[in-house]
Amino acid sequence: MRFLIEEQNDVKIGLEIHFQVSGRKLFCECKGEEGKSELGAFTRRLTVVSGEKSEKDIAAIQESMKGKEFQYVKTENSCLVEMDEEPPHPPGKETLETAIIVSLILGCKIVDNVHFMRKIVIDGSNTSGFQRTGIVGLHGIFKTDSKKVGIASITLEEEACKKIRDEGNRVVYSLDRLGIPLIEISTDPDIHTPKEAREIAQSIGLAVRQSGMIRREASSIRQDLNISIRGGNRVEIKGVQSLSQIEKVLAKEIERQESLLEIADILRKRAVSANLRLEDLTSSTYFKNSDLFASGIKSGKKVYGFSLPGLSGVLNRGKFRLGREIAERLRAVGIGGFVHSDELPNYGIDEIAKSEISLKFGGGDYDAFGLVVLEPGRIEECIEIVQGRVLESLKGVPAETRGATDNGTRFLRPLPGSSRMYPETDIPLIPLDSKYLKEVENLVPPTVEQRVAYLESLGIPRQEAFNSLWKEYDDVLESFVKDYGNPKLCAKFLSVVYSTEVPDLDAARFLAGRFSKGNIPVESLEPLYREREFVLPKGKKIILSNDAPGGYSLWIQDENGKEEIGTSYRMKSDSSGELVGIVEKVVQDNEELIRERGEDSFKLLMGSVMKQVRGQYEGREISEILSKKIRERVTKGEQAGQKR
Amino acid sequence: MSDDLEAGDRVEIKWKGSTFSGTYISRDSRITVVKLQSGYNLSLDNSSISSIQLLSKHVPKGPLKEGPAGKGKPVFILGTGGTIASYVDYETGAVKPARTSQEMLYAQPDLAKIAAIDAEIVMNILSEDMQKGDWLRIAKKIYDKISQGEGVTITHGTDTLSFTSSAISFLIENPKAPVVFTASQRSPDRPSSDAFLNLKGAVKVAQSDVGQVCVVMHSSISDDELSIHSGVRLRKMHSSRRDAFKSINSEPIGTVDKNLEIHWRNYERINSRPMKIYENISERVGLVYFYPGMNEELLHKFADTNDGLIIAGTGLGHVTNRFVPLVKEYVSQDKIIGITTQCLFGSVNLDVYSTGRNLLEAGVIPLHDMLPEVAYTKLSFLLGNFDLDETKRLMTTNIRGEISDRRTE
Repeated sequence: MRFLIEEQNDVKIGLEIHFQVSGRKLFCECKGEEGKSELGAFTRRLTVVSGEKSEKDIAAIQESMKGKEFQYVKTENSCLVEMDEEPPHPPGKETLETAIIVSLILGCKIVDNVHFMRKIVIDGSNTSGFQRTGIVGLHGIFKTDSKKVGIASITLEEEACKKIRDEGNRVVYSLDRLGIPLIEISTDPDIHTPKEAREIAQSIGLAVRQSGMIRREASSIRQDLNISIRGGNRVEIKGVQSLSQIEKVLAKEIERQESLLEIADILRKRAVSANLRLEDLTSSTYFKNSDLFASGIKSGKKVYGFSLPGLSGVLNRGKFRLGREIAERLRAVGIGGFVHSDELPNYGIDEIAKSEISLKFGGGDYDAFGLVVLEPGRIEECIEIVQGRVLESLKGVPAETRGATDNGTRFLRPLPGSSRMYPETDIPLIPLDSKYLKEVENLVPPTVEQRVAYLESLGIPRQEAFNSLWKEYDDVLESFVKDYGNPKLCAKFLSVVYSTEVPDLDAARFLAGRFSKGNIPVESLEPLYREREFVLPKGKKIILSNDAPGGYSLWIQDENGKEEIGTSYRMKSDSSGELVGIVEKVVQDNEELIRERGEDSFKLLMGSVMKQVRGQYEGREISEILSKKIRERVTKGEQAGQKR
Repeated sequence: MSDDLEAGDRVEIKWKGSTFSGTYISRDSRITVVKLQSGYNLSLDNSSISSIQLLSKHVPKGPLKEGPAGKGKPVFILGTGGTIASYVDYETGAVKPARTSQEMLYAQPDLAKIAAIDAEIVMNILSEDMQKGDWLRIAKKIYDKISQGEGVTITHGTDTLSFTSSAISFLIENPKAPVVFTASQRSPDRPSSDAFLNLKGAVKVAQSDVGQVCVVMHSSISDDELSIHSGVRLRKMHSSRRDAFKSINSEPIGTVDKNLEIHWRNYERINSRPMKIYENISERVGLVYFYPGMNEELLHKFADTNDGLIIAGTGLGHVTNRFVPLVKEYVSQDKIIGITTQCLFGSVNLDVYSTGRNLLEAGVIPLHDMLPEVAYTKLSFLLGNFDLDETKRLMTTNIRGEISDRRTE
């Protein structure tokens, strides 16, 4: 048996946090934020040649690239550099400065020279076939109130293309995102609990944002997690989009890894074998009541049964889920219809059929079996994958790259070996001499602690001060307090204003200006907070409404009741189809997010939609249309997945 | 610090109070480069390193595994410079150009499926360093191979590729096997390089029945079609794009699609007339780009040191009227002065404006729609192998497809 994570050092977690930097792209003059309209496309293929020892690796890569074609959609904010038709330009001065400032904030040593490298990437997400990346800071130490974490490195690198569609042998990408500067912060594996991981990520995020150069879009911050527990292997988890997800995903992943180690303990005592007996059951009578199998057979697929010696009870019982592990491996190559004996009776297969099939495949106490419905000709590949995973189960936790989902992680691919890198010769070495570094040091903003301490000195409660930094309204809060005094009230008021998922910065800035000019007595803020409405001199009104799900928004009405902020105060109903159009565009732009997170992407997308239509339509109508569109997209994705 | 480190040695470094290990790569007077376990290179100032200690010596790798030499109609690949095949040693990050046919096949794994490959690197120079003598050497090498009926693919740097392709077009008459140039605009260490498709396409064309020197390069920025250009009608028209090479005043003579099928348009097949190689070339030919404000002295220098001069004139083929008496003087000294156009597209015509008529009267030779570089290699070839009258006659005669009377665009 395993004795769990109370022994903290059993778990080692490292974070890789990526922040997009605002401003121009890293290696050209295109603006990351501007001009996303599409301008035609071109297609490419990639070839990898290497003189390395493990030629097997390369052979596998070459195999995987065979016949694979990548299509790139040009956008207004991309040029010959993104198209890989012109050498990269030197990185932007401000971008490099931001990376240095972030490194200094995190206590790193700055490299003597920035040396950009080419890191081979073969999924087509970079037109060049590699990602340009360079180390800026090394060996830092980041301290929070309760914890010290080593910072392994800070790198400055280019963002990859956004995937638009995957058609199997042809993947379509947009050049829109390619080349946006990314700062990657890699911590040492000094973190021992999911909660700690979340706190560290949050603190690092807050610290880094003080640079004022970090982009704020929903997808502009991403975390990858590395986690291993004693006795297991390192697992890398990709694409964690939010802080709250970090904790959840890690907790689930630890459970998964723990149970895999327990399974290994159990299986070592059993007669487990990867010698699987296979039989074609397509013409048997077991499946006549099973929609899953009958419909597969009808569409020309075949049903196979195979023995899983020694695996009964660990495939799916209690916390054991080896069956899902096998299913995930199969799904990664597009084999969907896998069922095993621990799940039966189910899927229209009754107890009688189960025991008859069981007898065919050994029938010993610990013997299990699997069933799979798939295209003829794929069974060998399927069995090979099952065998591979069964053998790994004896060892415990396989080294894998997994993707974050809403309820844990899922298999993506085996953990790659060390990355293939070689120097980017098109960009000369960038020396960072001490005189220049001195100048940059002067640009380093106050630390979070310094800033909070300052806000506290104005009388703002510490927690409110933190919040204001986190949601980036500390400047507004500061000016409110300076204009009106009563720091507690101001802080409370603004925390309501900024409690929406996407802060209504324009409205708040406008308000701030209004307050400073109008000399409004501070007591008046209280009714606004309490009654959601406040009458300004000359009959104007500030209205706090809660039509946006999960938050509030602020409105200014003129004396005639017309909205002053935004396009029109009167809520429209979507007779023109304008709203549907806007929602569809948002759904389309975030296809990847929806694929990864399904209907849970609603909250993030609602924010994007609200940003465009706030105040124009009823919140309820917006949310109905959006959730419908997301559902359609999710269903479509699942169907496409099954087809493959 | 130890001074006898070699690339690939494992070392431990103390730098700014940190200690870490890595792979030693190189050192110069200012910087030491080490590669970290993560794959990143660090370029550290020598002055900031407090110590560097050898942990273990580099164990050199064995030679590349022998692969098959390839199947199919044999093609000889002649390397002249500019890498079209290379591979990366990720342990040290070194990019290694392929120097033998074995390495060529390793670095271009698909070639073996197309042809039995034999390869030789005859020279490895930047194409801007190419000399006229190099053209003769290349021509000789090609001649030897095609005399045996074997198609030849020549890899070349892109910058002066069209000079070499036109020189070879003139130097070898009636080639008995295909002579196909190719190059790459993106170096072949990159997964996205155009070298892979370009070389495959060129080898394919070298197995065909084409009897004129040609150049195979990307048609567009997509990896889906190659253009086959006549060796005397193309020009590099972009400094960096994959589709930099364009046929000027003519269409490409064919295309190669992404499945490596050749689609010919209008090309010369190998013919039964005797093949001939010319072994001389004149070093006394110049090429001048006329510009407003150009002074007489400069023209004197060019004309005095050469027997023949190609002037890329403005528009229909003009230079300043101040040059007319000079031209007359040099022509009377039996020097050849030919006129082409800086416009590249279209033909010269000296009958339209008075300046043109004055130049004609002074004795310049209008060179139709020949590209300036092609006129330059052609005149070098003619003066090396023929007398003055024959040179003058052939300069305005279409001998390799370099001149056309009809233009449709």
